[in-house]
Amino acid sequence: MRTWRLAWRNVGRNRRRSLLCAGVVVVGFAGIALAGGFMAQSLEGLREGTIRSGMGHLQFAARGAFDGGAGAAAEPLIDDAAAIEAALRSDPEVVEVLPRLDFVGLLTNGARSVPTLGTGLDPAGEARVMDQPKSLAAGRWLADRDERAVVLGAGLAKSLGLEVGDGATLLATTADGTLNAIDATVVGLADLPIKELDDRYLAASLGLASDLLMTEGRVSRLVVVLRDHRDAAAARPRLLAAIGGAAVAGGPGGAIEARTWEELAQFYRQVRTLYLGIFGFMGAVLVAVVLLATANTMLMAATERTREIGTLRALGTRPGAVGRLFLAEGVLLAIAGCVAGAALSLVVRLALNHSGLTLPPPPGATHGSTLFVKFYGAAYAAGLVAMLATLALASWFPARRATRMSIVEALTHV
Amino acid sequence: MTAPPLLAGERLSRTYRLGAARVQALSEVDIALTRGDFVVVMGPSGSGKTTLINLLGLLDRPDGGRVLMRGEPIGDLDENRRADLRRDRVGFVFQSFSLVPVLSAEENVAYPLGLRGIGDAESRRRARALLDQVGLAGKAGVRPDLLSGGERQRVAIARALINEPEVVLADEPTANLDSGTAGGILDLIRGLNERRGVAFLLATHDPRVVERARRVVTLRDGRIAGAA
Repeated sequence: MRTWRLAWRNVGRNRRRSLLCAGVVVVGFAGIALAGGFMAQSLEGLREGTIRSGMGHLQFAARGAFDGGAGAAAEPLIDDAAAIEAALRSDPEVVEVLPRLDFVGLLTNGARSVPTLGTGLDPAGEARVMDQPKSLAAGRWLADRDERAVVLGAGLAKSLGLEVGDGATLLATTADGTLNAIDATVVGLADLPIKELDDRYLAASLGLASDLLMTEGRVSRLVVVLRDHRDAAAARPRLLAAIGGAAVAGGPGGAIEARTWEELAQFYRQVRTLYLGIFGFMGAVLVAVVLLATANTMLMAATERTREIGTLRALGTRPGAVGRLFLAEGVLLAIAGCVAGAALSLVVRLALNHSGLTLPPPPGATHGSTLFVKFYGAAYAAGLVAMLATLALASWFPARRATRMSIVEALTHV
Repeated sequence: MTAPPLLAGERLSRTYRLGAARVQALSEVDIALTRGDFVVVMGPSGSGKTTLINLLGLLDRPDGGRVLMRGEPIGDLDENRRADLRRDRVGFVFQSFSLVPVLSAEENVAYPLGLRGIGDAESRRRARALLDQVGLAGKAGVRPDLLSGGERQRVAIARALINEPEVVLADEPTANLDSGTAGGILDLIRGLNERRGVAFLLATHDPRVVERARRVVTLRDGRIAGAA
């Protein structure tokens, strides 16, 4: 009799107990599959949100700029940005190149001033690939590179009592260290999900920022958006080679550095680590519960079959083969449980995704999000592997017992 | 030069622990089985009959003495090798039939063939032929719980013979059967012994078995008290 066929018959011998055992596996598998799907969906949303909120997939800056200027008095800038931008655009994987000029300044309404984190940018390019221009709370996005206009975070506008159409004055220190001021019109209000950013955010046209800081065509960063986020690490050396030889003004080594979105997105990395920790802990608890429940059931079943084990051994079944029989029973229960668990997961996932449940905003954020559980194949695979390993371990106890059992004692077991 | 016995025990001794006490179940017993033997081991309960079968059948290891198969001592063999010898050279018939409940009569009989790696179709063919010989041709697909006691023991006998062993060891094969059925089983065993030349050693205190024996060994308190 082949091991698997006999194992299958044994699984069907006590249906209620096998169903109970498989039921535990179903719950364990579904827990892993659903939690994994939720985690994957959350991380994917955070990743895309991070990339589309302005991070892009790759950022190029003068050497030292990513480390806060590496001791330089002013932030090192990329010279000849137009040539480098053109070189980057020639790569077939590059979808968009966005020049950015970052600055810290003061925004004043004439009576009160508030510090801002300003960025000069290319409005049209940003509108094509980033989310910010598409999700304004009021007004419109910037029209062109030279418009004397700004878009403010709703929190910043509120603190100054500014509304769409109002005028304001922007003050900042120029590249050579003098103070400069420019008048601008507020054309739009952005509703940013992170409150601290909402209270400081200012987007200006690249022309306005360049005039304010007197950088004359130089930029802080070139943000690159690729076709696929997974290509960022591979694209970096290729793109750096493509722009090799470009001169950099103010950079200590005359070179340009690049960072991937993952290297820059510290918050994303922290959340991912946190999620993996929570998921790992939850998975370990599930596995422990499944192990305890199934090991007990399988050991009980094996004890009831002690005489039968003795018979099989007496007939010439090797100890290892008897052990493998129990392992096969565990594996069959695991597979049956996982198949049912996968079906249950798909049904529950469908129900949750159509429930319209809204999750509360995470710490530091202003918006919650609708609950959505992704179909995440890796979580299903992880569930299958975890349950197979758990049931194999659970069946190891009776298998070990059967292997070591004295045949004479087994045959006389009552 | 005479051939060595198919199966022999030399000065076999076995002691069991029973709590703090030590019970001498078998003490320096010599026994040998040759082709075509039909030996009955008699004795009261606790005389050592089952212990002797366990030692000769490689189900247990003696404390003293040795077991030989075709003159070769087998005491030093590991569990896997002992399992292979049980599978290939020894058949067992137990008092309580010891059939696997999830397998049909045919599958129970075919089980030892599967252990030798013989294919499903061939195993089933041979099992059906043996079931036919023991008078159970129509019960091949029936599970043990739907068979009578006599039918179960016939299945067990067929299973013991499927690998064409040299020796069959039967421990109280008629104890759980009514007298009519027991007589039928004994006739079957004796017939197989005569037709196939398989050596049988039966442990029993059933006088009907003794009547059919060629040789009777009597055990008392773990020692041979007489042989005829």
